Amino acid sequence: MTLDSPMRINPMIRHRASHIGRAVPRREDRSSLMGRQRYIADLKLPGMLEVSFVRSTEPHARIVSIDTGPALALPGVHAVFTGADLADVELFPQKILYIQPVHQPALAVDRVRYVGSPYAAVVATDRYVAEDAATLVATHTEFDPLPTVADLDQALADDAPRLFDDWPDNYLVNFPADKPEVRKAFEEADHTFSDTYVSQRQTGLPLECRGVLADEVDGEFTIWTSTQSPHIVRTTIAEMTGIPEPRIRVIVPAMGGGFGTKTHIYPEDVVMPWIARKLGRPVRWLEDRFENLVSAVHARDQRHDVDVAYDDDGTIRAIRCKAYCDVGSGEIFMPGTATVFVTGGVLTGGYDFRNMEVHHFCVVTNKTPSGAYRGFGTPEGMFVMERIIDRVAHLTGTDRVEIRRRMILQEEQMPYIMHGGGRVDSGSHAKGFERAVEMIGESLERVRARYADDPDVRVGVGYTNYVEPTTPTYHLTTGHWAGYDSATLRVDPDGAVRVGLGTTALGQGTETTAAQLAADALGVDPDDVTVVMGDTDRAPYGLGAWGSRSAIVMSGSILMAADRVMTKAQEIAAHMLEAAADDIVLTDGRFHVAGSDTPTVTWSQVATAAWVRTVDLPQGLEPGLEMSGYFEPPELEHLPGMDGKVNAAASWSNGAHAGVVSVRVSTGEIKIEDYVVVHDCGTMINPMIIDGQVHGGVAQGIAGAMFEHFQYDPETARPLFASFMEYLYPTCSDVPMMTVEHFETPSPDQPLGVKGCGEGGTIGPAAVVAGAVDDALSDLGVEIKATPVTPSAIRKAIREAADGGGER
Amino acid sequence: MMDTNPGLREVDVSVSINGTQVSHRVPARLLLSDFIRDVVGLTGTHVGCEHGYCGACTVIVDGDAIRSCSTLAAQIDGSAIRTVEDLATDGELTPMQQAFHENHAMQCGFCTAGFLMTLESVDPDGYQEKEQVIDLLSGNLCRCTGYHNIFNAVCSTWGVDS
Repeated sequence: MTLDSPMRINPMIRHRASHIGRAVPRREDRSSLMGRQRYIADLKLPGMLEVSFVRSTEPHARIVSIDTGPALALPGVHAVFTGADLADVELFPQKILYIQPVHQPALAVDRVRYVGSPYAAVVATDRYVAEDAATLVATHTEFDPLPTVADLDQALADDAPRLFDDWPDNYLVNFPADKPEVRKAFEEADHTFSDTYVSQRQTGLPLECRGVLADEVDGEFTIWTSTQSPHIVRTTIAEMTGIPEPRIRVIVPAMGGGFGTKTHIYPEDVVMPWIARKLGRPVRWLEDRFENLVSAVHARDQRHDVDVAYDDDGTIRAIRCKAYCDVGSGEIFMPGTATVFVTGGVLTGGYDFRNMEVHHFCVVTNKTPSGAYRGFGTPEGMFVMERIIDRVAHLTGTDRVEIRRRMILQEEQMPYIMHGGGRVDSGSHAKGFERAVEMIGESLERVRARYADDPDVRVGVGYTNYVEPTTPTYHLTTGHWAGYDSATLRVDPDGAVRVGLGTTALGQGTETTAAQLAADALGVDPDDVTVVMGDTDRAPYGLGAWGSRSAIVMSGSILMAADRVMTKAQEIAAHMLEAAADDIVLTDGRFHVAGSDTPTVTWSQVATAAWVRTVDLPQGLEPGLEMSGYFEPPELEHLPGMDGKVNAAASWSNGAHAGVVSVRVSTGEIKIEDYVVVHDCGTMINPMIIDGQVHGGVAQGIAGAMFEHFQYDPETARPLFASFMEYLYPTCSDVPMMTVEHFETPSPDQPLGVKGCGEGGTIGPAAVVAGAVDDALSDLGVEIKATPVTPSAIRKAIREAADGGGER
Repeated sequence: MMDTNPGLREVDVSVSINGTQVSHRVPARLLLSDFIRDVVGLTGTHVGCEHGYCGACTVIVDGDAIRSCSTLAAQIDGSAIRTVEDLATDGELTPMQQAFHENHAMQCGFCTAGFLMTLESVDPDGYQEKEQVIDLLSGNLCRCTGYHNIFNAVCSTWGVDS
């Protein structure tokens, strides 16, 4: 925390109307509507060659030999590189101390550990020829298959094949726990139960796949890549290749979505500049959808073995959760190890519950490496918590709303320290839940009436109350000790403002919201603000866009930089107005002496003096009107304290979701009839954009709750998907229209009271859908314990409940 | 491989694209999406899955919306193609484009062209019921918006009671 972190707009700036809080239409739209956005696939350079990566067709094997001859003989092929050519280029900076070391070469050498692992790269005149040649390399590669590990059970078996020979087992992370107060509660409680809750493997799947265009001229590299963290890509490339960092420029073109999957440093980010240097030509690689499905990070593949102690009155006394994340082969930086810690830390959601014992395990298997995906462990955890609450309600005959009312966080408890140290700074948990209950109650009646005459259809309702940690530390995920981001503000001689940001845009409207912030922070119109980001030469160093962090870090850094610009501008204006700087205020874009409307000077006059008419500056004042702010959010911690607790997120948004489903018993067909969200992300910068984030988040949450599943053959560890045909990406018919309402409880700690909103929508649906299906089928004794909740899963649950004689 | 691959044989493709006549000699295996993007240079048509599922590459050929990623350029010789670049006139957005903007019916923008071309290809008179609009939109994937605001944009433009 810096001492001058500004929390609000400078009081010396007065507006007719504030731009923050308004649904300002997006400035990004026009180019997309007209087909004029430039994505990575739209960029070409003269003399450019195209690259196709050769990917393992084996889940686990030694590479015996690669014959590149036939590929090289193909007309149009310029080069074929294999792992051996880049053996000295590692991908995985050894920064994270709590995990087993993963030594991953940029291209696999000698051994592959998942289908999709890149082990060679072909360079050709165009993508068609490159893919022909890649096929020839693949068919001329001899593998010696090794025993495979397809899931957690196989990976943890006593005689399990090991993925990494220098490890004692397949644990990438192995953190058991033991809490005496939890053990005590299990001894004292009236009852206990144990169960297992599973969330399936799925991922972000932005509609735009990844891509890299790399060029090297006189030792200076330019790398266009579809990443959420351009500066970190640059730093990592420098570290891994020895290229001096100032000679690397990373540019992010327009991005067709990211959702976390594009925060990682992928092999292609490092290999492509290496090839460009080797060949002295610009080279481009565009990922196809099959590659994307098997080689961009997966997520959510977690199992939770749970013991619960509870009393007759429905009081939950203690929860023990052994959380296992199947991280695939683990061969990616940043590694997929952090999500399970988030699950453990936030599993209790918007509830006052601290007697938790969480064991964290990350286990490697012969599947695609897992990593970041919107929600980042939180949807998995909320599914577990709401399943537990519904189960206890059922076992004790407690009303499902009532049991939640007893547990939900109250305003007077703020700040509330969660069991793992998460510091919920504020929120509307209780009133948000009440509002959601009220809203869904009305539609529940309507839907029940609609199906009253159809005995095959059952109707149910489900609830969740979550917290959304935002603006997290980078340390847990990457080993970098930082959580800040940056802004540089320059007022040009015409009085217009240029904002450079360390964060970046992937479709979330950052340019529009940054312009709103800067406009208010400098007392100008948003139309007079230009925002640049996603270019390491044009924007200040920053950590990028992930973890719902842009709102907080942008607000803080823009306010800091604006304060510094304003202080200097006041000095210049004071000199021009022959007054004292402390007396200078800015009203609707004009500087004047407080209490006197005239005379005035404009931003343009001040900036002109600063840049091109320095004779007008006060004696001794440095020319220029450009200032930066590097904002490290207060309250954010990077490492657990002696008590093992850490507040790994700067702020905590909250939300209540509730949904009504209908289930057709004969077919298992499930339909979300209504879905309501009561959302609170603190001060809203642009409510229209926030609603959009919620809609999209809920849709992705529904995708995980009901549809998407990366399935692998348990015998062979081979993927059973190769296209969208086998992976049920929801369409407009699958996602319900939803009602979104907001409370606005400002963060007391963060600038402007902003909290962040990128991920909350995804957190609720799995918990809500499972709860609603259970409720609908309660008379059949059905209990959902895993996602996705598909028609076949429902039919199976109905059959098992009938066979099991109503276990619950 | 070179000699045996009929896809490498070259064919002449002459089409009208957004009202301009173009003729190119291209490999027989060249996809229409690549023809439009790389040969003609209109990059507003996006490629999201390359297997005909996501609809991002939708263009209008002789009045019908088709998936340009699973069509060969050679197949549409002699046709008239319209792409997203043909919608706005002299920078003035169509009512549907304007509605997408006003309803925040786009975030990353990658799917937008495909949705707009699907919508452009139909007669709104056949889509005056909410369910008809949902069915129509279900041929295109969007990952950002949850379809919520796309649906609203279409309903507001076509006067459908949402």
